[in-house]
Amino acid sequence: MRATFWLQRLAQLLITVFFVTFGCSLLMQLLPVSPAEVLLPVGSPEERELLTKEIGLDRGPIGYYVKWLGEFVRGDFGDIYYSGGREAVSSRLAVAFPRSMLLMIYTQILALSVAIPLGIWSAYRVGRRADKVISNTLFAMSSIPNFAIALVLVLLIGVRLQWLPTLDYQPYSAGIWEHFKHMIMPVVSLSVGLIAAYTRLLRADMIATLREDYITMATSKGLSDRRILWRHAFRPSSITLFTSAALNMGGLIGGAIVVETIFATYGVGFEVFAAINGRQYIALQSIVGLISMFYVLFNLVIDIVAGYVDPRTRDRRVNA
Amino acid sequence: MRKKYTIPTWFAFGWLGFAVFLAVFGSFLPVDGYQVIHGDFIDSPPFTPGHWFGVDSNGYDIFSGIINGARLSVFIAVVSVGLGGAIGSAFGISAAYYRGRYDSVVNTAFNVVLSVPNLVLALALVAVLATNVDINEAVPTWRRLATLIISLTVVIIPILGRIARAATLAWSGREFVVAARSMGMRDRDIISRHIIPNVLPALIAVGFLAVGVVIIAEASLSLLGVGIPDGASWGGMLARGRNDLEYNPHALYIPIIALAFTVISTNHVGDVLRGKLDGREGRL
Repeated sequence: MRATFWLQRLAQLLITVFFVTFGCSLLMQLLPVSPAEVLLPVGSPEERELLTKEIGLDRGPIGYYVKWLGEFVRGDFGDIYYSGGREAVSSRLAVAFPRSMLLMIYTQILALSVAIPLGIWSAYRVGRRADKVISNTLFAMSSIPNFAIALVLVLLIGVRLQWLPTLDYQPYSAGIWEHFKHMIMPVVSLSVGLIAAYTRLLRADMIATLREDYITMATSKGLSDRRILWRHAFRPSSITLFTSAALNMGGLIGGAIVVETIFATYGVGFEVFAAINGRQYIALQSIVGLISMFYVLFNLVIDIVAGYVDPRTRDRRVNA
Repeated sequence: MRKKYTIPTWFAFGWLGFAVFLAVFGSFLPVDGYQVIHGDFIDSPPFTPGHWFGVDSNGYDIFSGIINGARLSVFIAVVSVGLGGAIGSAFGISAAYYRGRYDSVVNTAFNVVLSVPNLVLALALVAVLATNVDINEAVPTWRRLATLIISLTVVIIPILGRIARAATLAWSGREFVVAARSMGMRDRDIISRHIIPNVLPALIAVGFLAVGVVIIAEASLSLLGVGIPDGASWGGMLARGRNDLEYNPHALYIPIIALAFTVISTNHVGDVLRGKLDGREGRL
């Protein structure tokens, strides 16, 4: 049972990554002009000819894809071309990826550590005023796009109060406080929507869990409400929450394009945008392939984790 | 036995109605076009006579911009959600009804598209579709608009398609569908008479949420400078207002308020409709 489960999931992962990257490489064939011309806008015909050969565009759609894939799995993600030179996509990602990763981790930590108590509390007080206030406020907040929050933060905290820098990224080596100073605003603007979404999910599941018999049992045993909420009700209610958190990871790594651009964090999302703006389609293909790979990978990881948290899900998921 | 709508719901309906009204009749209102430059009023704050919402630092009236932005947002949202919903539910419903290999192909396709973040997908499509032969030649506005709509449609297809598929799966196992099939009703008629009317309410509810997704995506693309040029949409106004935060904050927060109100309204309406559906299911 378990072996087939893993094989199925692994196949799913490979299929998804294959189709995403193949789709990207087909997109490149759809360009109205020859890709070499787009990649090297100022190159001479000979240089373009050389480039076409080098990246395998002369081998037709399939041949090109196979060549790209062979290099992709070996860690060569192609080059970014600009006037007078080229740069390996992998060396750009080596800078951008850790930034996005940190941004994603901080965002998740902040969002979960706010959403979990809020969700538990509003499920506990369901229908009361506290629940209504929390739910309605969060609902409004979830509808505000993250770039709007980012821009308002820049305006209020960065420009008016001048408390925090509005641009750039600083590594740990520049000092812990410097590092966090540059991360606070991007992280907050990415978290707000997630806090709302997570709280909602947890609240709904908690409400259902609190109606179960074993909760009544725990209450009648005289356990304190706090203990029941955290020890008995939270764990079985948290699976949807953590699944959704895991699904968001891929999106946060590559999808924080606007926030990364506003704050000049220059993570993976920004690289996607730069690749598109500079018409570097090979880089785009590699980065999008990586992002979708992470998405599926996190999906897989959460299935493993969910299996440990609640063994009941293991079999259910195989059949689904 | 209809449940009455609450005040916030009426508010949401009202705002959406207002946005649609602006979108349809905006050009007939006695307001200057959004590209008219009011040189004497540059940087004037909101509530300036004649310029309710103020003027930005290029001399563009913000109220006119909001009206024009409403037109673009509503148009783009309605067309791409309509198209994406139609295509997505055609695939989703047929896949769930006929099952088998066709179903797994469709489902895999949806999963593949969903594994790319919304904005990355839209950006990539816009980039490729709006590529010009000559890099120095600007892409005409109509082509940008068409590109934008196509890209956002592709984003919407799997979102609504999966909802349609899930709903169809639930309904096609029901007794009345089995009964219709056993009486020899044709598949085509079962789908159009029994499946679609039952799946449609769920689709409409999620469609409202999808409108919110599209509006935000369009604004993000414009903010990044690959949407509709010249600050014509709300996102474009944000992109322009961003450059002048210090002296002209209202050029930023008025479009933000318009965007946020619209998305809150669509999300709320979608939520209310979904809630009504659950109620209906519960009574069965």
